[in-house]
Amino acid sequence: MMPTLTQYLVISLLQIVVVLGFVMTLVPLLTFAERKVIAYVQVRLGATRVAGGLWGAQQGRLHQSRTVTGGLNGLMWFLGRVPVFSILRGLPMFIADALKLLTKEDIVPASADKAVFVLSPALALVAAFTVFAAISFAPGALFVFPKAVPFLGGLPFNGFLTDLNVGLLFILGIASVGVYGIVLGAWASNSKYPLLGGLRSAAQIVSYEVPLTLSLLVPVVLTGSLNFNEMSTRMATDVPANGMVAIGRTLIMFVGFFVYTTCGFAETNRTPFDLAEAETELVAGFHTEYTGMKFSFFFLAEYSSMITVSALASAFFLGGHHLLPFGIQGFVHLSGWWGGPHIIFFLFKIFTLLFVFLWVRATLPRYRYDQLMNVGWKFLIPYTLIMFVIAALLRYAA
Amino acid sequence: MEQLLASLGQNLFVLFGLLAVGAAGVMIFTKSAVHSVIGFLFSMLCVAGCFLALQAEFLGVAQLLVYAGGIVVLFLFVVMLVELTKYQEKGIFQTQAKFAVPLVGAGVLAFAGVFRGILFGPNAGQALVLKLGLEGATEHLGNAQAVSRGLFADFLLPFEILSVILLVALIGAIVLAKSERV
Repeated sequence: MMPTLTQYLVISLLQIVVVLGFVMTLVPLLTFAERKVIAYVQVRLGATRVAGGLWGAQQGRLHQSRTVTGGLNGLMWFLGRVPVFSILRGLPMFIADALKLLTKEDIVPASADKAVFVLSPALALVAAFTVFAAISFAPGALFVFPKAVPFLGGLPFNGFLTDLNVGLLFILGIASVGVYGIVLGAWASNSKYPLLGGLRSAAQIVSYEVPLTLSLLVPVVLTGSLNFNEMSTRMATDVPANGMVAIGRTLIMFVGFFVYTTCGFAETNRTPFDLAEAETELVAGFHTEYTGMKFSFFFLAEYSSMITVSALASAFFLGGHHLLPFGIQGFVHLSGWWGGPHIIFFLFKIFTLLFVFLWVRATLPRYRYDQLMNVGWKFLIPYTLIMFVIAALLRYAA
Repeated sequence: MEQLLASLGQNLFVLFGLLAVGAAGVMIFTKSAVHSVIGFLFSMLCVAGCFLALQAEFLGVAQLLVYAGGIVVLFLFVVMLVELTKYQEKGIFQTQAKFAVPLVGAGVLAFAGVFRGILFGPNAGQALVLKLGLEGATEHLGNAQAVSRGLFADFLLPFEILSVILLVALIGAIVLAKSERV
């Protein structure tokens, strides 16, 4: 049955709450994971060992029976030693981090342009969140409201907010607005390090937008669509009649995945492309003058655009809502639950790619600025153009 | 409730249009050049909203990508990097006022006539929806497909000629910039 407009709007509102809730929970957990992953990779001691409450870090064990906090500390410390619960180690650092962000004094520099200074973190965050309107987490209905639910009974709750006909372009367009948050924030701070950092990252984002868009043209050409759901399903399950075309399709998806992910790293200002925040040269880049919640808006925007990049890469190159990546699902017949689309497959791919983001940050050093521009303009753009031509040939041959 | 929401949905175009005009006002009347660019940005975003309200998704999103994502960034770069304070003292931004006022007045009158016709004319009851008039474009054919059919099949030659005009403008800009340096 067709929902009325009011029902439709209520369901959309619920969907927005669920998606934003998902992102807002994932981002803090991601920072926690980032500390721990980097600590394990680089053998840093803090985040893999800190246990106990906020009050007595490690010596909590000594006081475990005397006071209430001592007892809590002791319990946490004990839990941290049990292998299964060792995930709790480092948790106090995470909580302290969150409290610090929430309670820090909100400073606006005296010579800053106040309106723009306040506007730009909001702009960055809104752009980063609006993108999720076109991302589809599951192709069909996630569940149907039971009849018992008042007003909404019997209506489906979809895994996507909108099934926009030009969903991919919408994502790219909104994401390109995010750069204003950085540039305007840098300018409004009225201080030289933020301005340099902002210009750097704006130049970087504007130049890497070209290969990013070109690499996404490969799935567009192969499927002949701009609709998120249709593209991701057809990239995962299409089987061309010609065997050679099928193999070429898988290969180009394999290469395209790495090219897209590289550009995605640059778009989100993550290591090895985090020149905007090169501490040794620029203090902290464009957000040097920002404190408290305004800073954490930039922070949230960066991490949620990491989620966006992971979602796009998994949707168009890693098989999206289907299990097998690179279009292999088309050749292999999987039976039952494994063969169908499911939100769990998609989320699993997103989480894996988010882990790769952290892994890369722990492993690779930062590029120099000229190297960054060389990689973008002299390598990635020609590669993506060649890929685009090959994709067009494959489309022609199929 | 239902009727209220439905009428709101039909009038989204007017809503976004008013916002766009407001942002354009900010762009013109503000003193700081960067604020002016921000006004321009919001005006462009609202125009994209207007297109979306008319169910022209492709045009709306292209507006986002090309204007908000590309052109305004360049504006912002230029404005940020050029020191404008000394030009402000010379008042070079106020020189066009005597031509601008009558022109803007004439424009306002012309558009007021158009808007009066749309909002209060005989067809005012209809929802504002873009009508696909192109040959071969049907309702269920997607928006992007209809536009691309128009651009690359029906009107290929005018489209290519337009791109040559852009090239001419580009070369002209390079020539002007070059002669200054020599």
